[in-house]
Amino acid sequence: MLREIARLLDEWLIDREVEARVEGLPRPRACTIRVLGQAALLERGLPLQLAATRDVDVRADFEDSARQRFAALLAAKGRELDPLAHEAWMPRETRYEEIFRGKFVRLLLADVEAILISKARMAPGKNRQLLTEYLAIGPSDRFIELAQKYDVDLEQFT
Amino acid sequence: MISKEELQRRAKRRAARIRQRRKDPRFLRVLGRFVDDGLLFVNEEVEPFRGRLAIADVLWAGELEPRLLELLPALLVKRPGMFEMTSELPEDLERVVAELRRGRVPGTFREIPGSDVHRWLLRVGRPGKVPALLKSFRFTPEDLRLLEHLAEKLSLSQTDVIRRGLRALA
Repeated sequence: MLREIARLLDEWLIDREVEARVEGLPRPRACTIRVLGQAALLERGLPLQLAATRDVDVRADFEDSARQRFAALLAAKGRELDPLAHEAWMPRETRYEEIFRGKFVRLLLADVEAILISKARMAPGKNRQLLTEYLAIGPSDRFIELAQKYDVDLEQFT
Repeated sequence: MISKEELQRRAKRRAARIRQRRKDPRFLRVLGRFVDDGLLFVNEEVEPFRGRLAIADVLWAGELEPRLLELLPALLVKRPGMFEMTSELPEDLERVVAELRRGRVPGTFREIPGSDVHRWLLRVGRPGKVPALLKSFRFTPEDLRLLEHLAEKLSLSQTDVIRRGLRALA
């Protein structure tokens, strides 16, 4: 879903670039969209039972018009930009995987381990079932290392 | 700290119990309604459900999917028609709903941070709208005459006259 939205945003920015050239205006600026949280987990097709509310957590360097267009594309799918995504804590070790690169838009997903550590540390009650399921399918060594580094008690999820 | 293998072993046992409970018709009904209403998005097939939900079923299902609990209080304020028997709420839920009606951020609700509960108040039902609260005041006869005069002069309701006055003084 998000990949398709990124593609549509890229096409829209390409159209804005053509208009800008004709009218002698500055061309649109490229943007990088980093997706966090449940939306990123859903996009990855993990073997976990996932549910997400409407909001999509992203950190992006949009121009205002691009942000509005992205929000409109999300709204057409019944989703919304989370206004508080910039406040979400993520470990410094978070890695991002690029899943779309267009002329103007790059879409990246935060890695699973970083997202789950964020959830385990910041909202363990709300994410108890998810963390249990993840531990049941076999946590990665990286996840265990991050849990130790950030003092996350994993036994609470078992 | 216990080993990774022991963590996985314990988690597998717990996950099996969770998977079993997720097959319960109460859970499927609640999830079906929330997904059908566009309140939740899931990565599995869910049978839509369009009937009213029992609060007890939502609270029970919320133990398996806490995002249901995150949404429930705001839905009770903005979309009470989704539910049966909304006048009989457990004490903690009633307290949270009362706080939301007063426009306040409630305390933690069944491990859901109050801020997470509150943020849905403006985003479910009619966006940006919160229910108005009834307040009573004692006005002198002169106050009442002035209020009636201003309402007629400005073609406003008396409530709107008072609202305008508040904003002018703020």
